[in-house]
Amino acid sequence: MAPQWTAQPVLAGRGLVKRYGNEHALAGVDIDVTAGEAIAIVGPSGSGKTSLLHVLAGILPADEGQVFLAGQRIDQLNEANRSELRRKEFGFVFQNGMLVDELTAQENVALPMLLGDVAKAQALRAAREWLDQLDLPGLAERRPGELSGGQAQRVAIARALAHQPKVIFADEPTGALDTRTGEETMRALLDAAAQTGAAVLIVTHDRDLAASLPRTVAIRDGRVASEVPA
Amino acid sequence: MNPFVLGLRVMRADRRTRTSSILILVGVAVATILVSLLASLPQAVQERSERTGWQEPISTSEEDATMRVSSTVDHFGDTAIKRIDIAADSPKAGAELPPGVPKLPGPDQVVLSPALAELIKENPEAMLAKRFAGAQVGTFGEESLSAPDQLVALVGHQPTELTSEAVPVASLNDGIGTSDGMLELLAGVGIVVLLVPSLVLVASASRLTAARRERRLAALRLAGATPRQVLGMVAAETALAAIAGALLGLLAATPLHQVVSHVPWAGATWQPDDFTLPVSISVLIAVLIPALVVLAATLGLRRVATNPLGAANAQERQRPKAWRLLAIPVAGLAFLGALASGQGSQLAVLGGLALVVLAATLAGPWLTSVIGGVFVRAWRRPALLLAGRRLRDDPKAAYRASAGVVLAVFTGSMALTVLGSIEAMAGGGSEYRDNVLYVRAEADSAKRIVRETNENLGQNGLRASAISVPMTYLSDAEGQQVQGMVLDCSSAKELTRFEGVTCPAQPSVLSPTSLAGQLSAEYEPGGQQQRLPADTPVWSADTADPVLANMALVDPALLPEVADKGTVTVVLPTTPDTLEVARSALASAAGGAEVRSLPTMLAEQDAKLADLRRVTVIGLLTAGLLAGASAAITAAGSVLDRRRTFGSLMAAGTPLGVLARALRAEAALPALVATLGAGALGVGVGFGLLTLIEGSIPMLNAWSLVPVGLGILVALIAATAAAPTLRRVRSEPLSDE
Ligand SMILES: Nc1ncnc2c1ncn2[C@@H]1O[C@H](COP(=O)(O)OP(=O)(O)O)[C@@H](O)[C@H]1O
Ligand SMILES: [Mg+2]
Repeated sequence: MAPQWTAQPVLAGRGLVKRYGNEHALAGVDIDVTAGEAIAIVGPSGSGKTSLLHVLAGILPADEGQVFLAGQRIDQLNEANRSELRRKEFGFVFQNGMLVDELTAQENVALPMLLGDVAKAQALRAAREWLDQLDLPGLAERRPGELSGGQAQRVAIARALAHQPKVIFADEPTGALDTRTGEETMRALLDAAAQTGAAVLIVTHDRDLAASLPRTVAIRDGRVASEVPA
Repeated sequence: MNPFVLGLRVMRADRRTRTSSILILVGVAVATILVSLLASLPQAVQERSERTGWQEPISTSEEDATMRVSSTVDHFGDTAIKRIDIAADSPKAGAELPPGVPKLPGPDQVVLSPALAELIKENPEAMLAKRFAGAQVGTFGEESLSAPDQLVALVGHQPTELTSEAVPVASLNDGIGTSDGMLELLAGVGIVVLLVPSLVLVASASRLTAARRERRLAALRLAGATPRQVLGMVAAETALAAIAGALLGLLAATPLHQVVSHVPWAGATWQPDDFTLPVSISVLIAVLIPALVVLAATLGLRRVATNPLGAANAQERQRPKAWRLLAIPVAGLAFLGALASGQGSQLAVLGGLALVVLAATLAGPWLTSVIGGVFVRAWRRPALLLAGRRLRDDPKAAYRASAGVVLAVFTGSMALTVLGSIEAMAGGGSEYRDNVLYVRAEADSAKRIVRETNENLGQNGLRASAISVPMTYLSDAEGQQVQGMVLDCSSAKELTRFEGVTCPAQPSVLSPTSLAGQLSAEYEPGGQQQRLPADTPVWSADTADPVLANMALVDPALLPEVADKGTVTVVLPTTPDTLEVARSALASAAGGAEVRSLPTMLAEQDAKLADLRRVTVIGLLTAGLLAGASAAITAAGSVLDRRRTFGSLMAAGTPLGVLARALRAEAALPALVATLGAGALGVGVGFGLLTLIEGSIPMLNAWSLVPVGLGILVALIAATAAAPTLRRVRSEPLSDE
C-alpha cells in the first residue's frame, strides 16, 4: 500500500533498520527528501549516518523498512536494477573523491555517462562543460594524483552531477579538506545541485555548514534524534 | 615484537592479507612442482641411460675385445624390441656384467626381460619365440631396463654366426654413459623456457597486492616503525606463505613424479623412481624458492621503507624506452651466431634460447606500453580506455600478467614448427617395397642367411622366397656414379620400387640417371673394377621416385661373379599373414644383423615424432598452467590493489559485468597481441633449430598456429579470475580503509 503525499518526496525511507550482528546501525529511521532540497545529516561518529545513506541509495540492503524513489519502492529491486538506479538517478561524492586513478579528470567525469552508453564525444564534451562550471578549467587532462584535495573533490562533484541525477549523496565530502577549501567545495556542490534541481544529502561534522542549510537531520544511535525545522 | 608473531596476527585479523597469502602459497606451490619436475629431468635421463647403457656397447680394438656384439631393434607388429646379439670370444667376456644382467648367454641361450618373456608366451612360437631361439637362461633385473615393461633380448651365438655388423667389445659395462642427446636438449630447453615463467609466477605472487601493502607500510613507517621493522614484517608475512607453498608443492610433486614415469620416451617408459629427487635437492628447492619470493617482496618495498611519503603519492612512472625492442634482433642474431659458431652445441642452443627469452622480457613491456597507447587513443568503450591506461601506466606490471602466455606460445610454436618440418621430411628411405623384409650382410654371411631363412620358412610350410641381392657401385665412361642393384628385372618389379618399369628382353642395365659408354662395377668403394660387357644395353628407367634417383638395376647375367663379393642385401617378400613368421625366420638366421622394412622404419620415425609431440603437448600444457596461474594471480591482485576505486565505482552504479569486462580486456588484449608476436618469434627460432637437424626442410605449417589459440584461451581463462575477486570486493563494506 503506497502512501499518498500532497507534495510527493523524491526519496523516502520508512522504518529503516540495519543490523550488524546484534548491533543496530539503523534502528528505525523515517526520512522524506523533497525534490531539489539540501539536507545536512549530522551526528556523532558511529551513529549510523553512512549506513543511512547507503541504505537509501541501495548500496546496502535494509533489514527492515522500505525505500521509495518518486513513490516507487526500490529496496526490493535486484542488484542489477539497483545498480542502474544508482547510475541514472543518484550521484555520489565520497570522502576521498574515489576517482579512478588511471583516468584523467575529464574521463572520470565522463565515466558514468560512458558506462550508460552515451557516445564518447558527447560524454567528453559534457564532462568538460561540468569541469568548467565547477571552476576547473585547464585541469581536464590531469590525473587524480596531480590534483589537490579540493580539486579532486570538485571533479568528484562534477562526476556526481554530470548525468543530472535526482538525488546526490555526499558522505563527509569535505572531511579531508581544510576549513576554507571545504567551504568553497561545499558551496560549489550546493550551487551546482541547485542548478540541476537535484536534492542533496550531505553528511557533515561542520556545524556552520549544517546551520547554513535549510534543513538538518540529526542521527543518534541509529535513530532520528531531531530535525530542524522540526 | 617478533615479526613472525606480528605477521601471523595480521593474517588472522585481516581477510585480504589472508587472501593474498593464499595466492602466494598457491603460486609458490605450482612453481615448486614445476621446478622439482624440471630439476628431476636431467637426472632421470641420466639414470635411465646409465641403466640401459649396456644395450648400446662401445666397440674396442681387436686386442682388447672379449666378445662380439650387435645391437639392433626388432619389431613385432608396431612394437619395438631391443635385441642384442652376442658371441663370447674369451672366457673373460662374462667377468663383469652390468647390474641386472644375470648372465652372459652362451650359444643357443637367451636372457629376456620379463615383459618380453611374457609376450613370447602369449604368441605362437613361429611368430616370435623363434627369433630368440635357444633356452632362456635368465631374466633381466630392473637395474638393467629402461622401464619395467621394456622388451629386451640378449641372444647368445657362436662367434662365426655373427655378421660383420657385430663390433668387438671389451665389456658390456663399457656401454655405460651413452646419452640421449635429443632428450637432454629437450630437458635443457624445458628448463630455460619453463623456469622463467615459474619465476615470473613466483614474482607476481610475491608482488601481489603490492599497492595496498605499500599504503599500509607507509602508514606504519609514518607511525614510527623503523625500515628494518617494516621489512621484517613483510618478509615474515611472505615467508610464512611461501614456505607453506613450497612444502605443499614438494608434497604434490611426489605423486606427480610417479605419473611422469609412465610417459613413454624412445620406446619405453621409466622406472617409478627415476624422477625422485635426492633429498638434498628437494631441500634446496624448498629453501631457494621461498628465499627468492621473500627477496622479491622486500626489494619491492625497500623504496617505501626508506621513503614513505614518496611512495604514498608515487604517480610518475617511467615509460619503457624503445631501445628495449632492439633486444629482439640482438638476441636473434646472437642465437643464430651461436648456432653457426658453436656447431649447434647444446650449450650454444640453450644460451641462445635463454637470450631470446630475456629479449622477450625486455621488449614485452615496451610492446605492452605501445598497445596501451593504441587503446588510449582509439577507445570507444570505457573498458578499452581503462585497459589501455593501465597498460600504458605500468607496462611492466601488465606484461608480467602475459609473460607466461608469451613464453608458452613461443615455446609451443617453436616446437611445433620443428616437429612439422621433421614430419614433412619423414618417409622415403627404402628401395624395397613395403611388404619386403631385408637384411644387409657380407656376401659370405648372406649365403648362410638365405639358406637358413629358407629352411626356417620351409619348416613353417612357407615358400622359400629369400634371395640375396648384391649391391655394387656402377660408373660410366664419364665418371658418373650410381649404385647398382644386381637383380633380374622381373624380381625387381616384384620386390623393389622399380615396380613400374618395362623389362627389356635381354640382360640390361636400367637406370633413371643416364649413363654413357663403357660401364664398370666395384664391389666396395675404391675396390677392384669389374667391366661390364661392352655391348650392355642401357635403358632409361622411367621413374620419378627420388629414392631410386641414384640407383640402377643390373641384370645378374652381366656380373656373374658378383654373388661372392661385396655387400649383399638378403631380401624376403611377405604377406600380412606371414609377416611375423617370415620376420622370425629371417631374424633367427640374420646373425645379429638388423631386419628392416619400410613400414618399421616409418613406424620408428612416427614413434619418434609421437614422442616429441607428446613432450611438446605436455610442455605446452605445463606452460599453459603456469601462464594461467600467473595471469589469474596478477588479475586478482590488480583488483585487490584497486579495490577502493572499484568498490566506489560499483557503489555509484557501475555493473560488475562492465568492470569485469574491462579487467578481462586488460588481461586478454595484450596477451592476444603478445601471443602473435611470440608465435612469430617461436617460428623463427624453430627455423633456427632446424638448421641443426641435417636434411630438414624448414616449412611453415598449421601446427605453428595452435599455440596462439592456446595463449588466447589461457588469457581468457585467467581473466575470469577478475569477476569473483570483484564480487568479493563488492561484498565488503565500502569505507573501511
Ligand atoms: N561493515 C560493518 N560491519 C560491522 N559493523 C558496522 C559496519 N559498518 C558500520 N558498522 C557499525 O554500524 C554503526 C554505524 O556505522 P556508520 O553508519 O558507519 O556510522 P557513521 O557513518 O555515523 O560514523 C557503527 O557502530 C559501526 O561500528
Ligand atoms: Mg560515516
